[in-house]
Amino acid sequence: MTGTNTDAHDEPLYRLVNLAKQYSKGGVIVEAVRGVSLTIKHGEMVALEGPSGSGKSTLLQLLGALDKPTSGTIELAGTDLSKLNDRELTKLRATRIGFVFQNFNLIPTLTAAENVAIAMVPNKVEGRIRTARAAELLEQVSLGHRFDHLPSRLSGGEQQRVAIARALANKPSVIIADEPTGNLDSATAKEVMATLTSLKTLSGVTVIIATHDREIAGMTDRRIHLRDGSITEDVEVERQSAASTSE
Amino acid sequence: MANQAYVWSELRRRSGRTAVTAIGLAAGVGLVMGIVGVSDGLTSAQNKVLSPLGSVGTSIIVTRTVAPTTSTTSSSSSSSSNPGGSGFGKGGGGFFARGIGGFSGGSSQVATLLNNNASVITDLAKLGPAGTHFTHDFFVPGTLITFPSIAITDVSKIAGVTSAEGALYLQALHETGTVPKIVASVKTGGQTINTTVTPPALTAAQKASERSCILNLLQQSGVGAPSGGGGGLRKFANNPLLSQCLTPAQISYEQQVVVPERTITQVLNPPTTNISTSSFTVAGINPANQTSGLVTKSQVTSGNWFSSGSTNQILVNTAYASTNHLSAGGTLAINGTSYKIQGLVSPTLTGNVSDIYFPLATMQKLASASNYVNEVLVTVKSASDVKAVTAAIHRDLPGATVLNSKSLADQVTGSLANASKLATDLGGALAVVVIVAAFLIAGMLTLSNVSKRVREIGSLRAIGWSRSSVVGQIMAETVGIGVLGGVLGIGIGAAICAAIGAIGPALSVTETGLSVGASTLGSIVHQSTTGLITTQVHLTAPIHLSTIGLAFVAALVGGAIAGAAGGWRAAHLAPASALRDLN
Repeated sequence: MTGTNTDAHDEPLYRLVNLAKQYSKGGVIVEAVRGVSLTIKHGEMVALEGPSGSGKSTLLQLLGALDKPTSGTIELAGTDLSKLNDRELTKLRATRIGFVFQNFNLIPTLTAAENVAIAMVPNKVEGRIRTARAAELLEQVSLGHRFDHLPSRLSGGEQQRVAIARALANKPSVIIADEPTGNLDSATAKEVMATLTSLKTLSGVTVIIATHDREIAGMTDRRIHLRDGSITEDVEVERQSAASTSE
Repeated sequence: MANQAYVWSELRRRSGRTAVTAIGLAAGVGLVMGIVGVSDGLTSAQNKVLSPLGSVGTSIIVTRTVAPTTSTTSSSSSSSSNPGGSGFGKGGGGFFARGIGGFSGGSSQVATLLNNNASVITDLAKLGPAGTHFTHDFFVPGTLITFPSIAITDVSKIAGVTSAEGALYLQALHETGTVPKIVASVKTGGQTINTTVTPPALTAAQKASERSCILNLLQQSGVGAPSGGGGGLRKFANNPLLSQCLTPAQISYEQQVVVPERTITQVLNPPTTNISTSSFTVAGINPANQTSGLVTKSQVTSGNWFSSGSTNQILVNTAYASTNHLSAGGTLAINGTSYKIQGLVSPTLTGNVSDIYFPLATMQKLASASNYVNEVLVTVKSASDVKAVTAAIHRDLPGATVLNSKSLADQVTGSLANASKLATDLGGALAVVVIVAAFLIAGMLTLSNVSKRVREIGSLRAIGWSRSSVVGQIMAETVGIGVLGGVLGIGIGAAICAAIGAIGPALSVTETGLSVGASTLGSIVHQSTTGLITTQVHLTAPIHLSTIGLAFVAALVGGAIAGAAGGWRAAHLAPASALRDLN
């Protein structure tokens, strides 16, 4: 396991050059991502915006090393993901990427602590250390008292905070969050965003959030807008002027 | 690879899936155990029946019976009505000797047998004067020819033989009734004997004496010369003194008359009596040998084995005891002697099952067959020796009938044989079908489970779990279920086997008995033909350790197969599926 953010900060975390992804869906070629070039720096909190079918989910999968591009290059900390095989991608995800999903995707049969600990299994972290770190992370997301609760006994916001703790378990370079607040009411959504923001600040982890929600997007540092697989807008957000923007 | 806590949580918290899958496997495994149990039960039931010799610690039984060739002779037993066949003496005393005549021309074996059975040809008069009420037990060997005791020694010297034990197995005839009055009236005398006697010729001196005497008489009666008058001659002829002139041999002599020999033949009608007969079987065994023989100590169901040195003790077959209301500790009178019923025994179903067992010496004395036995029970060192020993006995004791387990097995028919065959033929196939069905069910339940966990598994893949880890996780879960299913299945199987044992369906076995008085000599002894013996064996389904092991392994394999199916499905889930479910 590598420490967080050992990369030199003058190197970008992500470097995407002319990235394209095509699907064959029902015999029709769908160009989900076409010619995206982009760099994301360490410690940035980026919002990917765009309507359904804009290619933001596909781009997120490529950024999350869940899928490989059809063409172009995507480098994560200098590693070209397009050249890695499945096992290497899996290893990369285990060590450098944390995921937060819209539906939380916690293992329903495991307690909050176990759900966090399970993420450390692929890195062969010793069981005792896993448990200790899981407890520590749950404290960080203010869920120390929910340690032994099953997901079914946690609220949506609590579940998502467990998911965030899980995403941080392996001290990743980046957290990929797909509509993390999509299933939450706005008050809870703000709490979750606050958690993410504070953790980002605390650990310096890069956060990439795909979202529909302009308010959520407004809480990030940078908003990248996608339409038909291409970037239509890429703006730095001035945090104080949260009301700014849009296409 | 798999995470223990995760596996345990999955099994515990998805208890429905765990239970259903485990029960599916358990049902399959339990049924297979039941099938295996029944199959084992049938095999052991068959072995029990087929290896009666083994169950009494004996491998081979040696007997002598009349060769089948003599049966043609015996079929002519109707000739017993022919008076020419049996003499007076035999006919008079031999009330029981029906059919004797038919064997008069038989082989030496038959002669031996007849000799052995001769004790039955008893002079009833010895039982008392006619009209006396009597009760007597006759002991006859039936078709089994006796061996001198030396035969036991001979057999015991054969290589491979551990021990040879003699036994005297007899048919007992219990006769009660009144001594019949048997009278033969033969009328003699009143004969007329005609004999022609020719007197001996006269000597010259006798002739001269007679002549001078006659001449003298002639002169006295005045006849004078023969040329005299006729009146004088008639007077002479009437002279009573004339006879005085005859030679004494012409007057009286001794003559022997020999009456020609002839045989008086008279058919005697059998005397009418009220004699009633019942038969049972008896055997003399070595009381010192408690482990092998016609009956063993372990077969004593109540009471005790013979006490050492006992002569007036008997063991009674439980079946015979219950029919005749006998019990251990009671007594039974046989030919005027009271025997103590030392114990009740339940001997094996085959072989020579007797109603009453005596110490051998007592039996020999009762049957007037000192130092004779008619069965030799041989124990061999190992089963592989049976064949060689059988051959050796055939060589050393020509004409002996040598029975071993296999030859007995060939005589068995009936539902047990059928069921056993069925179990062998179909049991295996049925077990395979059941287990395959159980595996399929477990596999399908696991596939369904994996399908429900698509997002969960996709998430695991997304956060860095490798394919093999995910497959390992699924496998570990199903193998865990397999363990549970195995334990449950063993319980179910044990319950099935116990239920079968409790119900104990009866299976019939028909076998050719070894008993005395097989068909060839059936006519000699009363009610002696036993022929086929049908016994019932209750089916049990024993559980062997190996069956339990097999059941457990089967459940584990079932779990592993199900896990492989689920794991295969899981391995093909893209990690992105964790995201794809989104809106």
